[in-house]
Amino acid sequence: MFRSRSWFGGPWGGRPKNRLSLDHLKYLYSILEKNTTVSENNRGLLVESLRCIAEILIWGDQHDSLVFDFFLEKNMLSYFLHIMRQKSGGSSFVCVQLLQTLNILFENIRNETSLYYLLSNNHVNSIMVHKFDFSDEDVMGYYILFLKTLSLKLNTHTIHFFYNEHTNDFPLYTEAIKFFNHPESMVRIAVRTISLNVYKVQNSSMLRFIRDKTAAPYFSNLVWFIGKHILELDSCVRTDIDHQSNQKLSNLVAEHLDHLHYLSDILLLDIKDLNAVLTEHLLHKLFVPLYIFSLTPAPPPPSLAVVTQNLAAVLNRNVNIDIQEMNNPRVSSIVALYLLSLVFLVVTHAPLVHALAWVILNGDHSVFKEGAAEILNSYVEHREVVVPGFAEPNESLEQALDTVTGQSSSSYNLSEDSGVESATVNELETHLHTDVELAEAARMRNITDEEKQKQLLQQSTSSSSSAIAKPFLDTVLQALDCTENDYLALLSLCLIYAMSHNRGIKNEWFDQVLSKSTRGSFSYKTALIEQLLNIITQSSQPSCRIRLITVEIALELLVTFTKPILDEARCITTSQQELLFSARNQSMIVLRNFYKSEDIFLDLFEDEYNEMRKAQLNVEFLCMDSTILLPPTGTPLTGINFTRRLPCGEVEKARRAIRVYFLLRRTCQKFLNEKESLLPLTNVVNLVQVENVLDLNNSDLIACTVVSKDNAKQRRFLVIDSLQLILVEPDSKLLGWGVAKFVGFLQDVEVQGDKDDSRCLHITVHRGGVTHNRTPLLSAKFLFDDHIRCMAAKQRLTKGRSKARQKKMYQIAQLIEIPGQMDSPMFAVCGTGGTNSSGSSSSRSSHHRSIFSTANRVPGFAAVLRTSHNSAGVSRTQIAQNRSIEGIRNESSGRSRRRSPNGSSSNTLRTDVDRDRSPSVSVGSHSSSQSRENSQPRSGGTRSRESSPRMPRPRSEEIPLEDFQHSRNNSPHSRGNPSPSSRSHTPSRLLHYEQISVHSGSPRAEAASLTGTNALLSQLNGVTVAKEVLPVHSSEETSFIANDSEGAESRRKGAIETV
Amino acid sequence: MSYAYLFKYIIIGDTGVGKSCLLLQFTDKRFQPVHDLTIGVEFGARMITIDGKQIKLQIWDTAGQEAFRSITRSYYRGAAGALLVYDITRRETFNHLTTWLEDARQHSNSNMVIMLIGNKSDLDSRREVKKEEGEAFAREHGLVFMETSARTAANVEEAFINTAKEIYEKIQEGVFDINNEANGIKIGQQHSPTNPSLPGSGGAAGAANSGCC
Repeated sequence: MFRSRSWFGGPWGGRPKNRLSLDHLKYLYSILEKNTTVSENNRGLLVESLRCIAEILIWGDQHDSLVFDFFLEKNMLSYFLHIMRQKSGGSSFVCVQLLQTLNILFENIRNETSLYYLLSNNHVNSIMVHKFDFSDEDVMGYYILFLKTLSLKLNTHTIHFFYNEHTNDFPLYTEAIKFFNHPESMVRIAVRTISLNVYKVQNSSMLRFIRDKTAAPYFSNLVWFIGKHILELDSCVRTDIDHQSNQKLSNLVAEHLDHLHYLSDILLLDIKDLNAVLTEHLLHKLFVPLYIFSLTPAPPPPSLAVVTQNLAAVLNRNVNIDIQEMNNPRVSSIVALYLLSLVFLVVTHAPLVHALAWVILNGDHSVFKEGAAEILNSYVEHREVVVPGFAEPNESLEQALDTVTGQSSSSYNLSEDSGVESATVNELETHLHTDVELAEAARMRNITDEEKQKQLLQQSTSSSSSAIAKPFLDTVLQALDCTENDYLALLSLCLIYAMSHNRGIKNEWFDQVLSKSTRGSFSYKTALIEQLLNIITQSSQPSCRIRLITVEIALELLVTFTKPILDEARCITTSQQELLFSARNQSMIVLRNFYKSEDIFLDLFEDEYNEMRKAQLNVEFLCMDSTILLPPTGTPLTGINFTRRLPCGEVEKARRAIRVYFLLRRTCQKFLNEKESLLPLTNVVNLVQVENVLDLNNSDLIACTVVSKDNAKQRRFLVIDSLQLILVEPDSKLLGWGVAKFVGFLQDVEVQGDKDDSRCLHITVHRGGVTHNRTPLLSAKFLFDDHIRCMAAKQRLTKGRSKARQKKMYQIAQLIEIPGQMDSPMFAVCGTGGTNSSGSSSSRSSHHRSIFSTANRVPGFAAVLRTSHNSAGVSRTQIAQNRSIEGIRNESSGRSRRRSPNGSSSNTLRTDVDRDRSPSVSVGSHSSSQSRENSQPRSGGTRSRESSPRMPRPRSEEIPLEDFQHSRNNSPHSRGNPSPSSRSHTPSRLLHYEQISVHSGSPRAEAASLTGTNALLSQLNGVTVAKEVLPVHSSEETSFIANDSEGAESRRKGAIETV
Repeated sequence: MSYAYLFKYIIIGDTGVGKSCLLLQFTDKRFQPVHDLTIGVEFGARMITIDGKQIKLQIWDTAGQEAFRSITRSYYRGAAGALLVYDITRRETFNHLTTWLEDARQHSNSNMVIMLIGNKSDLDSRREVKKEEGEAFAREHGLVFMETSARTAANVEEAFINTAKEIYEKIQEGVFDINNEANGIKIGQQHSPTNPSLPGSGGAAGAANSGCC
């Protein structure tokens, strides 16, 4: 076996020079040989020797195989054992070093043969069973990690070194699981790792041993301690009504989740026999007797004495109390529902979850005696039945395991000790347990008369109409009642959600059981749907006490349970659907009260929409939050997420109203098979993005220098779109085109003048959204060429901001159908008024505008553009002086070019039309047909004129919109043909901003002004359409965007027609 | 050995970044790093002094436990400090930091102090991750950063001790609930179970006894 024996003759007395050498190991061996007894005097030397041995062995493993040969030949591990078995003189000190050396050895060894040799002589097993001083933290740590390291070396080959089939010895496993409940969490984690690593090994004989000899004691103890942990959790929930000991509760919950995930990990290894035992224990020792039992109504206290007794029992519980004497422990229904939800969220082992679901859906009180036998039998043949009952195992795990390892024969009968018995003796056992039944019956007698009658009624109905009483399902459904608050309802919803979404339960099965089982005259499924609708209806009321998350889950479940079978319609009756829709309408009414009541309404609105879209419902995450176990609270001081508590203050009430409306709207759309067409308010597709190349011929450009915080200067042109502020750089290839270098929403722009410099503006573009306190998108000083341009920019930005916001507010008003904006008779009145007033003021604005648009123009700009980017003249040069209708064509083809990276020009066309239509979908066919009318003659007209198929021109959000006006106004055609309507187009838009900013305080006035504008714009639609459009209430239904676009179209069309 | 506090640490990061070597280097300096020999250990303890108080650091390497969900989700809880280690000579270990950090943040208590460690700084010639990148990552995620070498022992002491200092400060500020052992902090017992004449148990014995070789 050993390659060389030459080193036997070597001198071992002196210390070799080379620390990492075989000679040094020989020297160390001589030390071990001489110091077989640990004493005060030599332990320092021993510790150091052991440390050096580790070092040399690893070095040898990597460099010199002779080192290992020597170690094995001299059987040095036996010296280790000999040392650790001595109790005298600071053995703990030596033991720590010994364990560290062993750890280093097994962790760092790479050579597989070396490993086999190390394991082969059973010394390692002897070390494992040695009773170290586990009260020493370090000993404990090194010991358990030693086991863990070994467990990582387990495979079908190495298993034989650890598990002895003939003696039924498996110390690695049995020693490790004794620490499953160790106070140190890292030790518990290591134990779990070890056990899972053991189970993973595919060795049938070893697994049989695990199952026959250890599974029942281990699992029964495990389950018992989980149960005890739960009682602690329950008492924490009961005492912590004020969210004060949050940390403790969340730790308990996290710890329980650890247990559950551990059980789930075992079950996921899919070891049939093991899973059968574990399932049996979990179900009948924990889930049924504690969780399900807690769903039954608690027996009302017959006298105060009993109450005190129970309370004492709950509060002063300790390990030694016999659970049977405590007369069936229970947890609050809150905790029970929560724990059951967790089971269904985490565990997917079909027999277990199926049986548990069956108990909840079909079970009655007999389950406490019989368990879920019916279901389990179908999964497991010859199963070993565990009698239901939450009780401490008769024998501690350590005792049980000692018996196992002590008796090498297989005569050991587990059933005596751990409540496991074979199915054949089940009947006998049932008789033995009649006393429990009697106790149960006695308990039932204590129920109040009222409840007794109820129960009698239930029983009688069940016997007469063959309907089975389902007390647990009844409890779950009753918990959905939100009349007072949604404390229980949320947890009940979580449970139903978890059950219906569990992968271990077949979806149809759950649905079928619900639909078939009847309560009174209708099925449980109907009852559930009605309860869900109740929650939804209540949540749409102004001052309800239902949290957003509850609403969200309720809606989600409603969708789930009405899922259409095959191609049929949703399984919902008309009246039920009516309830849903009226809830949405109600939520809309509630939301109207908040419209405009806060300045930040628009920001809230958009923010909530984004939040809702971002936050996917995740019940598993929700159930990791221990705070849902405590009564719902409103204060954000608890740190509870907004959706999981009640709103606090007006702003949060507004947010809530918005969110409820969104949720209901979304669900209703699902029921109607509709696609969202009005939200989000900003259509991202139509926005200008950074690096887009834009045709800026005709656009109002203001040259400026952007000075950022770090004093970096950039020369840019400021473009103000209908929604966006854009900073462009001239395109190097195309004259009159520019590349967007920055885009921001006008609605988030903040402009401030500079006291010292009249050519300077401080512009901040925020990121939008109210809840995120992030750095602004842009915050810089803008330096303009002169005072006038600076003023112009400021004015345009301020107006642009208020216009963009106004536009969106109008969209919201449309969305939530604010009355007044919809009223057609009023529209007619205001419409004329609006037209008149705007007409009169239009000349003023147009005049005003012409000052800075026309004054900038300089002939011969084309030559300048490429050469002088920085000259102030560039902005002037952007606009053609004698722009004719040809420019329009350029513009529209340019528009399609802008999008061309993303799609063909035909795409562009469709988007435009979609967008045209989109605002009008919710309000009916009138407007959509109207917009089509608008677009069709338009394109027809242009085609006839231009004979270009790409004529449909871009929508209002395109930049050159207003400049187009100028060009047209300036073009000989429009100038020469000053029809009142065409001339007032642009001014009317400007006027529009002014009106809105003036009236923004009062929604009513604003509505009037908006309708006024509508009327105006409709009129402006041109000679051909205006007359048709005006009498119907299409224009007031047109959204702001539509207004703009129609305005734009009409202008175009007007232009064409005037020509 | 008695102590005022015990801080529990975990070491996380990809395999092969030198976690267990760092740990052994810190807890047991007697193992002098030699070229061609890498030795690591997954558990260790050492006594340090902060502000005149004896503090025991107990460090758990979580290597090999990543296979099961129940294990990964639980080991972050119950630690007061975490060393998040990457290897400066292997870019991918740096790229995985985000995942480690997400896991840690999701499962740990919010007060856990996380120290980012770029290990193997002695192998500068094979460096793939710049020091500045490590610094930037740490800044972005609110971590303390340090480059160490388990081989030359450079900065190893500092990494562990600075983390302890930060935890200690948090205790002084009252951020940590020291009575809750789930936070990874234990208040020391008054009496030491082991013989006080010894310099310390386990790795702590190291410094005093290093005269052997």
